[in-house]
Amino acid sequence: MNATLDLAREVAAAAAMIGGTFFMLVTGLGLLRFPDVYTRMHAAGKAGTIGVALLILAPVFFFAGSEPFVSLRGVLAIVFQFITTPAATYLLAHACYATRYPIHAGTALDELGRWMPVASDEDFGAE
Amino acid sequence: MSPWFEWVTQLCLLGLFVAAILCLHRILVGPGAADRAVAFDTLSAIVIGMICLLCILWESSLYFDAVWILTLVGFLGSAAVARYLARGRLFP
Repeated sequence: MNATLDLAREVAAAAAMIGGTFFMLVTGLGLLRFPDVYTRMHAAGKAGTIGVALLILAPVFFFAGSEPFVSLRGVLAIVFQFITTPAATYLLAHACYATRYPIHAGTALDELGRWMPVASDEDFGAE
Repeated sequence: MSPWFEWVTQLCLLGLFVAAILCLHRILVGPGAADRAVAFDTLSAIVIGMICLLCILWESSLYFDAVWILTLVGFLGSAAVARYLARGRLFP
């Protein structure tokens, strides 16, 4: 393999994994510092998704041309991640709001509160 | 693999380890089940990133199948917790 091409692959992979590690660290910091579950979901749903996509891109760049099917599997993994993580975060946020999880007191606007009826105990859990 | 690239990979693994410790802290102290589910989702994403970096470090794509399998399965945990929170039971 050409030496210049090797250097290019390593530089691209290093840039991708440094970016991904930065976004995962920001996600962990958000999980640690944010006050309620909705803001934590905001950190984990967006920064976590882009961080893991960048981290999956790093082996795709590194193994380009040397190992077969890594790029196909990597792109498949990124597509699955972009489909499943927002769906899971939406499901969890909807369930939290419907079961009246506490919202932080500094929340400025709660638009959904007008449209969603207050859940009663008969709706959840009571058989 | 050139030496600086190996060094960068190990540094990124260390950063992911710190992020995993922050997620584990949220799993331990999180006030409710939903906080723990969010932290667990992020922890599975961090494990996916660690597998990617270890693939690079070992110069083998043998474990790369685990990455996309984990992206498919990791979302089931928080979906199950969401369903349990919303309905009070997992299966109708």
